[in-house]
Order: sequence, then C-alpha cells, then structure tokens
Amino acid sequence: MLQFLSKLAPRSPWIYRINAGSCNGCDVEMATAALIPRYDVERLGCKYCGSPRHADVVLISGPLTMRVRDRVLRVFDEIPYPKVTVAVGVCPVSGGCFRDGYSVGSNIDHYIPLDVIVPGCPPRPQAIMEGVLKAVEVWRARLEEGVCSHS
Amino acid sequence: MLPFLKIMVRNLILGPSTDPFPFAPAKTPDKFRGCAAHDPEKCILCGICRHVCAPGAIQIRVSEDGSGMNLVLWHNSCVFCGMCAHYCPTGAMTMTSNWHLTHLGADKFSNCIDSFIPFGECAQCGAKIQPRPQAIIDKIGQRQPDRFLLCPQCKRESIAKHVAQVNHITTHETPQETP
Repeated sequence: MLQFLSKLAPRSPWIYRINAGSCNGCDVEMATAALIPRYDVERLGCKYCGSPRHADVVLISGPLTMRVRDRVLRVFDEIPYPKVTVAVGVCPVSGGCFRDGYSVGSNIDHYIPLDVIVPGCPPRPQAIMEGVLKAVEVWRARLEEGVCSHS
Repeated sequence: MLPFLKIMVRNLILGPSTDPFPFAPAKTPDKFRGCAAHDPEKCILCGICRHVCAPGAIQIRVSEDGSGMNLVLWHNSCVFCGMCAHYCPTGAMTMTSNWHLTHLGADKFSNCIDSFIPFGECAQCGAKIQPRPQAIIDKIGQRQPDRFLLCPQCKRESIAKHVAQVNHITTHETPQETP
C-alpha cells in the first residue's frame, strides 16, 4: 500500500515557499510561475500550499538573514520527511550581492541541505519549473529508497 | 452572452496562451542575458571583469605551475548583470542566452567556468607579460607594432632610446665596459 502511494505521490508535488530574507525578486518569479496562465506550474500537478506540514517540495529564496534565521529553521523543521529543497536564485547558495553583508551570517547551505539549485537573479519562471521538475525526480528517488530518516 | 462568444472565438483562433516549456523549448529572446561565457583566446588578463563584478563571482588566480592565470566564474554567484561583457575590451567575456543552469546540490561548486590563459612572452627578453592575442594586436597594437609586444621594462628602454635619438642626446649604453 505504501509502495503504491509512493508511486502515485510524485505526480502531484505540493510546493511550499520560504522567504529567507529575499529581496522579493525571486518571490515574484515564483508567484508568476504559479499564478499566471502563461507559465502555469499547476498543469504539472504542482500545487502551492499554505501550511509547511502539507509540503513536499520547498522553494527557498533569499540569503537567510540573521533576523529570519531561527524562524526559517523552525518552519523548515515542521515540513515532513522526505522533503526536497530547491534553492531559487543565487542568494541561498552563495549569498549573491548580499554576501558578507552585515545582516547575512552565512549561506543557507550551512543550515539546510540544498538538493536542487536554480541559479539566476532572479531565475526566469521556466527555470524555476525546470528546478521543480528536477526536485520531483529527487523526491521520487527518495521515496523509492524509502529514506525517511531525519537528516 | 455576446461578449462571451466574442472571447471564445478569439481564444479559439489564438490558441492557448500557456508557454509549453517542459514539453517543448521555451521562447527565449535573442538578447536574453543568461550565463556568461569566456573565450580564453581573446582574454588579455586586464582584470576589469573581476573589478566590475558586483557579487564577486570572478576570480583570477595564478595557476599552480605559474605559466598562466586561471579565470574562474562561479555561476552560482553571478547575477547576470552583464557588466563584465560590457567592460571587456576585447570581447572575451560574453553573455549567452543559455538559462538552463538548474543543477543538483552536489554539483554546486563544479558549476563554473574555469579557463586557463597562458602568459605571453616579451619579444626582447622573454619575460612573462600579459597575453597578446592576434585580435588585440590588430585592434590596438598597430600604432607601435614593435613596442607592443615588449615587457614594461623593455618598453621603457625602447622609448628612452627613441627619445634620445630624436633629441640627439648621447647615451651611455654600457657604463660597465668603460675603464
């Protein structure tokens, strides 16, 4: 039964967005990818959800500023395993323009393992969709392995 | 009822407005600024790209064996502003329209341009100088073709000799040989 469900589940990933102190550029692109009919990420079975407890794929944007760090980590811990993290934009992986800024401690990947990276400042909506599709592949592999251990 | 019919007929004629990206290539404008590309054949190691790079994505380092320089551009730090391509004097740095940069987290440090640019040689003394590719010789080396390929010290000596010849000043070329 569980195997049957884990075969079905990757057809409909639920997406949750975390804004870790981003400049809002990547968030606008993510909203664009979901909302307007030109890009329409929902035809791929994806759905944006409002609660971290329902999420499968997490989109993170922003360089993880000191002010939101603890809150982001708390929300991230509420997402059930196996979760797949997609870093949208260059800020989560390297800090981008905000690297070594006074409000940026260190990059997200010191705190959160990043599975898929979509570089860009901001990436175009098609690139975000490409990243989500790649994340679904990672998620399917993890479901098949049965990896549900806490990282 | 009538406005709806009008919209329906228009939509039937125009077709779907959704970009068919994952199933077909997306429309990309010709001048879309995607990832940067570097051509080591044209690079003269002036370092202006590293100087103007806002997020500090470009590093230029001497290679391990000391025979040239390595230019490393990390795509995961580049913000596609295009300043490096704008200020590059020889057109070695260009912005391509390639935006397929999505990769797995394990490859994040290998997602970069790493090009090796060998040093040039001074035509007179053989010292290491910045490379002088043919493109840049054709462009700005035509005014003083013999002096363009020299290292800074040989160039200074050459200029001094030239000035001395023009002004009829006798120079002491080899003071060691005089008794």
